[in-house]
Amino acid sequence: MWNDLLFAFESVATLANVLAMGAGILAGVVIGAIPGMTGTMAVTLALPFTFYLPPVTSILLLVALYKGSTYGASISAILIKTPGTASAACTVLDGWPLAQKGKAGKALNMALISSCIGDFLSNISLIFLAAPLALLALRVGPPEYFMLMAFALTMVASISGGSLLLGVVSACFGLLLATVGEDMYGSFRFAMTEDMKSGLSVAPVLIGLFALPELLRLIMFRDENHGQAMKLGDNRLTLAEFRGSLKSIIRGSFIGVVLGAIPGIGPSAAAFFSYGEARRSSPNSENFGKGELEGIAASESANNGCCGATMIPLLALGVPGDVITGVMLGAFMIQGLTPGPLLFQNNLNEVYMLFIGMMFSSVLLFGAGKLTVRFFSHISSIPQVLLTPVVLMLCIYGIYSISSSMFDVTVLLVMGVVGFIMLLLNIPPAPFLIAFILGPMFEDNLRRALAISRGDPSVFFQSAISWIFAGLIVFFVGLTIRREWQKFRENRAAKNA
Amino acid sequence: MLNKAMLRGLLIALFFGTVLFALIPVHVPRPSFIPGFAPPPDMWPRTVSILGLALGLLAMAFAALGGGNETSDEPKRGPASAVEWRNRLIRLALALAAFAGFVVLVPLLGFLASSMLLALACFLLAGASGRWVAVLALAVLLPLGLQLFFGNVTHTPFPSGSWGIFPGLN
Repeated sequence: MWNDLLFAFESVATLANVLAMGAGILAGVVIGAIPGMTGTMAVTLALPFTFYLPPVTSILLLVALYKGSTYGASISAILIKTPGTASAACTVLDGWPLAQKGKAGKALNMALISSCIGDFLSNISLIFLAAPLALLALRVGPPEYFMLMAFALTMVASISGGSLLLGVVSACFGLLLATVGEDMYGSFRFAMTEDMKSGLSVAPVLIGLFALPELLRLIMFRDENHGQAMKLGDNRLTLAEFRGSLKSIIRGSFIGVVLGAIPGIGPSAAAFFSYGEARRSSPNSENFGKGELEGIAASESANNGCCGATMIPLLALGVPGDVITGVMLGAFMIQGLTPGPLLFQNNLNEVYMLFIGMMFSSVLLFGAGKLTVRFFSHISSIPQVLLTPVVLMLCIYGIYSISSSMFDVTVLLVMGVVGFIMLLLNIPPAPFLIAFILGPMFEDNLRRALAISRGDPSVFFQSAISWIFAGLIVFFVGLTIRREWQKFRENRAAKNA
Repeated sequence: MLNKAMLRGLLIALFFGTVLFALIPVHVPRPSFIPGFAPPPDMWPRTVSILGLALGLLAMAFAALGGGNETSDEPKRGPASAVEWRNRLIRLALALAAFAGFVVLVPLLGFLASSMLLALACFLLAGASGRWVAVLALAVLLPLGLQLFFGNVTHTPFPSGSWGIFPGLN
């Protein structure tokens, strides 16, 4: 194996490959930073170029775009409170408050370093753990998916801000909105117009919910000095800050690897998972949501930790885990490579070259990130009265360009108003979003598992994986109830004193 | 007296109550045939609505008992006079009208002209009226640049509108 890897290293370290990866990463970072432009879009746009490139170079270009755009989404999340993709939504929670405090550069640096570490560990896992993780992914059926989603929804407690009750209400809004459109058996729910039959896309809901309320707040409360530029001050990430977040980075990377290897889960769930775990275990848990670097580290390491891991089911089983790897599957087949067990038998050299190339891309991601951090952090110095309407335009054009649909733009604007109402009522938007993303997976797998078991609920407790997640749910729900009870007692004692 | 926390609970309960009792019966039809033992399509929305309704009522009960004063990340606002509040509400109403106007105007004026008008409205409402040159330049050039970028890079077909303003750019 080591000889094969060495040979692959020599084959990958060519100018053409490095240039393709560098260009891919840089383009990915810029595309990811534009609200509404997604990694899927970047990979799809680059697909025609791969027809003229050698197989490994073309796949590396696509992987580089994927990684770059996943990191790039954190830039807009931190600087303009507009997550480029759903996986960066958690980064907003702490990144935006840090930017407001004049620490945008620090937040961007933490996002970059944790993304690179997550990405690197994910690549290592791809090389050494592809087979066992692919086997684990094969054992995850509808009941296990359901339990996993149920566990993921317990994260709501960690991202609810000051009130658990309002966090759960917000999650209920998200779960309800996710039911709009066609269900798994072809029934239409809440389809009041023709456009609503296909449901609501994640991008307009996500961007509307996070980015547009800022504009409406600026317009309504502009007499309260909201329109000024943010300070551009403390940009360097200290060693102590990095050390303080290292545990969350490593844990987040592994959460990303495991969840990325399971088809259909994706980086958004991994980021929320990791964020929730970091908040639960951090000594600074009270600062989460107010500008805690560890929060950024947890979410960014997890979403980039998924990048390499999503290639595991694709390469080992020929199963694309999400839309991006679906496009990559097409690129593999165009190049005459068929992902799956036979790929490791017939094209082992190409597989190893891909592994090594992905390791290279982690280093290039760091370089491209460092180059762009300095440039992007100056965005914070633009006065808010000019920046916020510009963000609205970017959002409108970005959303329209995804599916050329005015319905999506309307959803964006309506969700902006909904987000503003939630902001006025102190209802946190993050639980809404996690429920909106995970809701369909939760419901579909619940209904699918019950259909398979002919209505017998014991199907949810028939495998070890289900039992592990059931145990974790009970443990964390118990922990949350205990914490809320303590908080209630402390508040009562403070009132009586 | 209806305080903010109680009003919030009431709004939550009203929303989920409306979904449960008015929207689901009409807009989530049960099919005549459901394959196997699969739960019907209204099972999940109904469950979530019942939970939401219960939480809304719970929030009202907490508010009535003196709770519901959770911490917020929002900056504390100082007292505002009636005139200030009237101006705030007028600005918000104008912003919402600008959003609605954009959606209505796209089929008539096209995407580009409607975007320019929306951008201009937002700049002015946000309080950038003192920077006329920057505002006008951004309101015109930004949508133009974005339209050219997305039109050429992603080949997005933007609606040109029935009035045919900027026909060559859509």
